[in-house]
Amino acid sequence: MLELYDKIQAAVTAIRSRWTTEPHAGIILGTGLGGLTQKIAVEAAFDYESIPHFPRSTTATHRGRLVCGRLQGLPVMAMEGRFHMYEGYSLKEISLPVRVMRALGARLLVVSNACGGMNPSFSCGDIMVIEDHINLMGDNPLIGVNDDRLGPRFPDMSEPYEQKLVARALEVARRENIAAHKGVFVAVPGPNLETRAEYRFLRGIGADAVGMSTVPEVIVAVHCGLRVVGFSIVTDMCLPDALEPANVEKIIAVANEAEPKLCALVLGVLAGESAS
Amino acid sequence: MCARCDSGVTASEAQTAADAIRRCWDGRPKATLVLGTGLHRLASLIQSEAVISYAGVPHFPRPTAPGHSGQLVCGRFGGKSVVVLDGRCHGYEGYPPAVLMLPILAVRELGAELLILSNASGGLNPNLASGDIVVVSDHINLMFWKSQPRCPADQRGGLGTAAVCDRRPSAPAYDPSLIDQALEIARLAHFAAYRGVYVGVTGPNYETRAEYRFLRQIGADVVGMSTVPEAVAAARCGLRTLALSIVTNVARPDCPEVVRAEDVVRAAERTEPRVGEIMAQVVAHPWPARR
Repeated sequence: MLELYDKIQAAVTAIRSRWTTEPHAGIILGTGLGGLTQKIAVEAAFDYESIPHFPRSTTATHRGRLVCGRLQGLPVMAMEGRFHMYEGYSLKEISLPVRVMRALGARLLVVSNACGGMNPSFSCGDIMVIEDHINLMGDNPLIGVNDDRLGPRFPDMSEPYEQKLVARALEVARRENIAAHKGVFVAVPGPNLETRAEYRFLRGIGADAVGMSTVPEVIVAVHCGLRVVGFSIVTDMCLPDALEPANVEKIIAVANEAEPKLCALVLGVLAGESAS
Repeated sequence: MCARCDSGVTASEAQTAADAIRRCWDGRPKATLVLGTGLHRLASLIQSEAVISYAGVPHFPRPTAPGHSGQLVCGRFGGKSVVVLDGRCHGYEGYPPAVLMLPILAVRELGAELLILSNASGGLNPNLASGDIVVVSDHINLMFWKSQPRCPADQRGGLGTAAVCDRRPSAPAYDPSLIDQALEIARLAHFAAYRGVYVGVTGPNYETRAEYRFLRQIGADVVGMSTVPEAVAAARCGLRTLALSIVTNVARPDCPEVVRAEDVVRAAERTEPRVGEIMAQVVAHPWPARR
């Protein structure tokens, strides 16, 4: 991990050369959820290619742009498009932008993703506020010699997602009449979707939703001392006894349709930030 | 940070490492002790005849934590010749499993018949308390070896991941007679020791509450980030193995507490004399017949 420090500094320098504001929050937008950036009063935008050491998004539905500006009065930087393990990136590469956000001064990380709902009480299009996670990616972004400048060797994980922010998000959801749940997210490498037996297994070990992202970024956020709030959009229901073949177009359509709800929750959480 | 993938690890490398140790110390060890977190002071119980830095032994991994150079302490303990591996390397430091196994294979080359592993772990079984000793009766490998960098030795038929993992050892990984003996020593010395299942994870972060619940549910009593590679290596090369796990904290996912590395080390240090007691007596006694 000792090589990370210089990479972070190089990316920070590139962003600072065009945007000198210290961000309050970093935001990572998942599959089909890039539209939140339209709400940002943009001050600077960067293609990932123009930032040293940023990977490039290879997914069709991810744009690959870092948008910096103001949202709800707060300085933010939003990643429109994220990186996945199944694209062949290492977890260190995937999570580098989180360290860059931290180095630029961010205190809060907002993560979002599209997920499969395994808790039968969920419905397609609902939002799950991530309460906790299970890492089944078979890898960890912190493997290697620890760089004590970036964080501790053995980070505690008793509260990776700040409980106060979970409560605030759910409160905003009630106020805005948005169906939202609290739940456990399990991350797998993918890229295939799960078999019925795997859904039963993941549900059995205590997960409410499954996805192929987010956990590496959150582990790194905890390592470098960022507060975290996470949202999963339930884009398809994964009930092993009534499983329908997954349809990627439909998943993206559901994500797009649910996007206003995500926007409302993110704005609500940020409003609470500026108030406190 | 894979330190070894360029060259891979082969049986001849274990031999080379053993030869280097032999040049510094002419004893023939009966037993090997691996000292885990917070247990380094146990090395001082050895009547030392030679201390060899890992840096002086070809192919040995080196601990990456500052201040832990890693050394072999060779000498007498419990009336027998022993080698102590003081300073352990872990998967989360970036070492692939074959490299973590090499020191075990090397001491087997030197003639050791018994391996005593020790570690600090988090308790998952709510009946456990901080300071208890769990005598490992079995393990669950959740260290996801296949995803780690693989050594070219895999293709050469050396000690790569596949070669080690796919072979079913003929004896249980943890020697049942030694487990009974360790538990009896603890009873006679009036301290708490229980049989339990160890789940090995890669780390380095501690577990989330959801992960603690998951690991408990699949049958584990304690969780840690070591021991499994060494136990697998020992099973493969025919070393009789005893593993002692110090419960440094008990995970209570329903009323979570922050886990701090320094508390873990302190809790392990407090229990160290008991681990030393079991180690000394197991080494000293005539070893029970294999079941």
